[in-house]
Amino acid sequence: MKKIRLDDYVPIVGSAEIQEIRALAECVGPVSIQHINSTATGGGVAEILSWVVALMKDLGFKVKWTVIDGPPTFFEVTKAFHNALHGARISVTPEMFEVFTEVSKHNLRKVDRRADFIIVHDPQPVGLIVARKNQGTRWIWRCHIDLSEADARVWGFLRTYVERFDAAVFHLPEYAKELLIDQFIIPPAIDPLSDKNRELSPSEIDQVINRFGIDPGKPIILQVSRFDRLKDPLGVIEAYRMVKHWHDCQLVLAGGSAADDPESGRVLAEVRERAADLRDVHILDLPPTSHVEINALQRAATVVVQKSVKEGFGLVVTEAMWKGKPVVGGAVGGIRRQIIHGSTGFLVHTVEGTAFRVRQLLSHPEMAAQMGRAAREYVRTNFLVTQYLKNWLLLLLAVRKPWKGLMHWRRPFPEASPEEIQEVNELEP
Amino acid sequence: MVEQFLFYSEAHIAVWAGLTASNLYSLWTGLQKVSGSAIFYHMHHSLLRRHFTTSDYMNDFARWVWTHLNQPALAEKLASIDPWEFTSVREVRENLLAHLEPYVGEMETFMRVPERDEFQFIELRSLAFPTGLTATDLPSFRDCLQQVGHGSLFYHLIEARLRLGRRSNDFSEWLADCLKEDELAEQINHLSPYAYNLWQLRSKIIELVETRLS
Repeated sequence: MKKIRLDDYVPIVGSAEIQEIRALAECVGPVSIQHINSTATGGGVAEILSWVVALMKDLGFKVKWTVIDGPPTFFEVTKAFHNALHGARISVTPEMFEVFTEVSKHNLRKVDRRADFIIVHDPQPVGLIVARKNQGTRWIWRCHIDLSEADARVWGFLRTYVERFDAAVFHLPEYAKELLIDQFIIPPAIDPLSDKNRELSPSEIDQVINRFGIDPGKPIILQVSRFDRLKDPLGVIEAYRMVKHWHDCQLVLAGGSAADDPESGRVLAEVRERAADLRDVHILDLPPTSHVEINALQRAATVVVQKSVKEGFGLVVTEAMWKGKPVVGGAVGGIRRQIIHGSTGFLVHTVEGTAFRVRQLLSHPEMAAQMGRAAREYVRTNFLVTQYLKNWLLLLLAVRKPWKGLMHWRRPFPEASPEEIQEVNELEP
Repeated sequence: MVEQFLFYSEAHIAVWAGLTASNLYSLWTGLQKVSGSAIFYHMHHSLLRRHFTTSDYMNDFARWVWTHLNQPALAEKLASIDPWEFTSVREVRENLLAHLEPYVGEMETFMRVPERDEFQFIELRSLAFPTGLTATDLPSFRDCLQQVGHGSLFYHLIEARLRLGRRSNDFSEWLADCLKEDELAEQINHLSPYAYNLWQLRSKIIELVETRLS
């Protein structure tokens, strides 16, 4: 795997931004950090951790990434908890809580008690907080899921652990909960140098388009998502039916049918059936490693759609925006924070609204191009790894020495130490 | 010997303030309760985060009142508040409340928005730190401006004035006090960051300095 270095991002965000990140890292000092989660591969958390860990190392921190282990029953319990935290109605038994507690205890040996910061990702390893002994170690819980409709019993159980951390971190303020600890907001980000997002040559794009039999001469409407009802692929087909009446375009639905999701196969079959009478529809069931293919499809698209009816934080929206595409997205979850309606894309609530906005973008390519440019700049400023890293550095500082308002680091580093920081009180009423 | 200008920069992280508003009344009471850094955040984060868009209101309060409460007249009034006219967060808060009060007073019932559309109050934790860049005269000042990030412009133009209570922005103070460039200082002080974005503002300041140098 290619080594990730912070300096590689200079051409994308500019040298001033990279220097500021290094300056913030100097403020944090030479600390040791342990990240703990439940999987080393697959899924968004592992993907984000792979570059966060690499970039934190590049900043000179001592970073360790630890994965907890447990028997299949533990992961069945955590999967049930995961669904319950997302609002699903599941049967929760006392035995499930026991399994969770026991396996957490078994994993306590993996905690590096000498680390300056321990960052626990998602609910699975949250029980490791009971290992907290050293008062010098700061514990942070990073929640990657939407807790706004969490099952009260499961959340009530996990909350007893969460409140022993120094701080919690959520994607959006809407996902935060009533807690006794500080709740920081850090939206997820994408890596512009990964295979999913790196620049592609026209021939690389053409190769993918040709391989899937897509006509390069016709406008492409694209939705990239798992075949899941929450992504409303049937709604996208209906919107395409309306658009097709006016524009000679094509629809690409690209996604996968996850092995652990038995429903995805059924949804895929329904999607095929619904699109059977329509021309120029390409339904692509891709393996999870199809990063370059997804990248090429997004770059070839004329309009990108993400008509989700529920969404945590659709990274696929950020990816399309980074490629300068206007996105028509369902006005739900994180998409409402990603798309600025009318500036970087359109937020929609219905099939009809989706069709209307897609038609509008197809009819006005100059407006689509303008929105695409704005979308790319919005991502550059808000949703790239560099901003994510900056947020994390500030978080480490804020957790180690909490402050309100504005903190002033007066002396040039590396001479400054936390004791030399002068706190400036803002002018309060 | 001329005192050096030390370029600082500023980085921010958002913290949930633990307070939401679901209608005009709870926005009004929330505005009275939240910390100054929450007011500061909602008035300014667009400057840092949404710099390219001109179709939107600059502050979050105006935007929410417009899009979710369907009160365009009030939204326009809130959007017209230019923090550049004030030297403290307290004054900005008082101004916001003064605009809201007549609307709160005239209604007997308040429409509530669905939970997902509630206004989420967020506080800002900000850290100012030296960039290592220093200016001693106009040419080096221009060179530094070309190198610093937008966080630095935010700190010296906005933070310095609104939260550190200075009468002007840092650039103008230094230019007037140390380089005796009163006219240039005044010209920069007239560039409101609420009319331009930080990137445009940098170009405008550099342009003014270059004109002076030539």
